[in-house]
Amino acid sequence: MPPFPSGAAWARGLLSWARPERWLASGSLFPLSCIHSSTSLQKIGKWEKKNRIVYPPQLPGEPRRPAEIYHCRREIKYSKDKMWYLAKLIKGMSIDQALAQLEFSDKKGAKVIKEVLLEAQEMAVRKHNVEFKSNLHIAESQTGRGRYVKRLRCHGKGMFGMMKISRCHYFVKLVEGPPPPPEPPRTGFDQAKEYVQQLRNRTLVHTL
Amino acid sequence: AVLVLVHSPVPRLRALLQRCWGRLERGLWPGVFGGQSPPWGAALAVQGPALVPHDGISDAGERSAEAPGLPGSVVWMAAPKHRRTIEVNRCRRRHPSKLIEIKRNIDVCPECGNLKQKHVLCGYCYAKVKEETRLIRMEIHKKEGGPFNAPTVETVVLYEGEKPTEKDEGKRIIERARKRPSWFVQN
Repeated sequence: MPPFPSGAAWARGLLSWARPERWLASGSLFPLSCIHSSTSLQKIGKWEKKNRIVYPPQLPGEPRRPAEIYHCRREIKYSKDKMWYLAKLIKGMSIDQALAQLEFSDKKGAKVIKEVLLEAQEMAVRKHNVEFKSNLHIAESQTGRGRYVKRLRCHGKGMFGMMKISRCHYFVKLVEGPPPPPEPPRTGFDQAKEYVQQLRNRTLVHTL
Repeated sequence: AVLVLVHSPVPRLRALLQRCWGRLERGLWPGVFGGQSPPWGAALAVQGPALVPHDGISDAGERSAEAPGLPGSVVWMAAPKHRRTIEVNRCRRRHPSKLIEIKRNIDVCPECGNLKQKHVLCGYCYAKVKEETRLIRMEIHKKEGGPFNAPTVETVVLYEGEKPTEKDEGKRIIERARKRPSWFVQN
């Protein structure tokens, strides 16, 4: 039997639940701003919600936190694997370089990603307090699988196959500041150093 | 696994299979069969005989001696033996030779400031010139009136406030009602 407040306590609990959170000072019943109702969008994705986080104000001595802008486009009519190559191309570039590369790429997804980047750049300048629109670099760029639809594909001799019409999402995170320098490739010397360090870290376990 | 393609030694078996599939499809998707051939034609692959259990009396001999009993019409095709894991797939798909290379031949057009490739004309400037040429051609079309009326003399395009010089004596003159664009140099 779950814990159940009996009789009057239950009625009071019910009433307090039924009564809305806040009443306005005038006492009349307005549409309540505290209840969030999603009207047009079915579900707001996680990437879109990342733009809504608000950090507490920084202390005077802290270094300035660089602005982060999250933007995405959903249900692009393109394959996620093919889109991934473009996303991998522009990862870590400055926004100007990325736009230049995408402008002269022959792929269909390049045009879409270019539009997304331009939208994100404009959002950054308007809403996210970015001073210079060129002072942005691409920190993350990812693709995701959209909703697939199965269709019949006709072959000869009355044969049919099922094909899937694939769509993808594209996510990008712009961060203010110059792009980080690329990592130097791992040389054999580094690997040897790490190996020697691992050997030196060995110790006796379960002993005094 | 090896795929055995039996080149229909028994036509009635294939017809029977097609009828069976047709009946199945009409039961599953009654709307699809309206006016179309049955969607799932029978592909005579390995499991052909196994799908027709009640026909085993006449084809018992065939089924029991499937491999040695069909000398000429069996074709052995290559097929993958094991599933390729996602790690192996990733190694192949993300190999540096398959990634898109960064283009290093992008410059800035000195005329308009847009980006252009080094060996290609600037897209913006080309579109500008194309648009002006289209308007000039419309003027020519208005002057000529129809096809096959091109004169045998040269054509000169003059903009607002320009007079034909003595060099343009016998030439056809096309007027454009705008200021001369900076990139269209007058001889």
